[in-house]
Amino acid sequence: MIKRRPPVPISGVVYGEIIYWCTCLSALLVVGGTIRCFLETDTVMPVGYLINSVFEGRSVEEIWATSALKSPPDALTYLSLLHNGEALTVAGIAFGVLSVAPAVFFSAAYLWRSKNEFLAVTAMVSGAFAIVTPFVYFLF
Amino acid sequence: MRLFKRMPELQILLVCTIGCYLFLETFVASNQLNDFFGLTGVDLIFISFFMSFVVAIISVVAGVGGGVIFTPIMLAFTSVDTLIIRSTGLVVAMFSGLVASGPFMRKGLADIKLVFLGALPILLGGFLGSLAAITLFDYFGATGDALVRLTLGFILGLIAITFIVGGASTEYPEHSEKSRLATRLKLRHMYWEETLKRPVRYDVHNVKTAVFLLLCVGFTGGFFGLGGGWAVVPVLNLVMSVPLKVSAATSGVLLAMGNSAAIWPYINAGALIGVVAAPWMLGQIIGGIVGAHALAGLKAALVRKVLIVLLFLTSLKLCARGIEGIFNVNIPIL
Repeated sequence: MIKRRPPVPISGVVYGEIIYWCTCLSALLVVGGTIRCFLETDTVMPVGYLINSVFEGRSVEEIWATSALKSPPDALTYLSLLHNGEALTVAGIAFGVLSVAPAVFFSAAYLWRSKNEFLAVTAMVSGAFAIVTPFVYFLF
Repeated sequence: MRLFKRMPELQILLVCTIGCYLFLETFVASNQLNDFFGLTGVDLIFISFFMSFVVAIISVVAGVGGGVIFTPIMLAFTSVDTLIIRSTGLVVAMFSGLVASGPFMRKGLADIKLVFLGALPILLGGFLGSLAAITLFDYFGATGDALVRLTLGFILGLIAITFIVGGASTEYPEHSEKSRLATRLKLRHMYWEETLKRPVRYDVHNVKTAVFLLLCVGFTGGFFGLGGGWAVVPVLNLVMSVPLKVSAATSGVLLAMGNSAAIWPYINAGALIGVVAAPWMLGQIIGGIVGAHALAGLKAALVRKVLIVLLFLTSLKLCARGIEGIFNVNIPIL
């Protein structure tokens, strides 16, 4: 019986490494955002107000309607407020989420090279889907 | 301890996160919250981080994703808005899987071909599910919330039953016949089984059925903010005949990918409150790394038993709250 460790597919390692390091980076962004949240005094998204409202059980619409923003923020709102702690925290999370796309594309390239064309194509379609979904909302 | 020495990035993340929360606890004046035993906002964030760390280890080892523990418990035992819980639930479900992708792929425990086979149906299903959740909330408001709790209660009960029924039989499933479609797609793999100290080879079966089931799993995961790992493991293990450990690892990776589409409708509806989701995300990342390294040398049976009890209890509470909301009655459970 074979007792040697089988080789690990390079496409998997590429996928895993890209996501792993992007996620670690996004965690650091989120830590920075959290610290900023608590330190800023004059902001449209005050952290004390947000935490209180969430744990008091207020709905999403109520929370944002009575904030300085007046309406729920979307991805573009967060992008325009990146100097703000709350927006930076959401951006950090979004960065981790989006790390899937490059990981999929690089990994698909290696799958293609190893003659797994069908799965490489499904991977690229999935990667494209992951990139497009943030913008689908703005079409409606 | 050896794990922390071997991985400087884990040390950095842990030091930064704990340092951040200690700094906030020490130097930042945070108001006490109403009805929360005199706790401040910072206290709650620190507690959330610790709970998330524990949930991440349990969920990675069990291969279910943290969302299946986080979302039902929060829906059952707190009054936080369901959309906020579900969006944070997706973050919880996702990030342990995202960060565990690295160790799982390095060790060859997760199967990248299965990940890409299942990715598209899960992504599509997850995105449609979360759009449906936002729409339901817009039309039904509080009644919609109660309906979500009741349905989720039933689903959790079913998940627990699935774990009981499927848990005993299939650590290394075997099939005499090979699937033609799986052979054409080269869906066969071999991994090193640490507990047996030898490689284990497997072939994949029932590809078409599994793809359809993964679409349904994606929808349910996106709709309830559960992720979907709870059902991906049974689909991979019971339907496709993939060994249990590979199923758990692949499920974590697939889940992370699938939820990357499902989270966007919530972000664009303002339902992801960064400061509330942040400690859960950080706990998932650090706990996910620890859990992923623990999985290689663990028998998952004990964790699964704990999970089954947890799922049944939460299911009971969710059903009670759902019925209370719909029929305006009081059911005294906990």
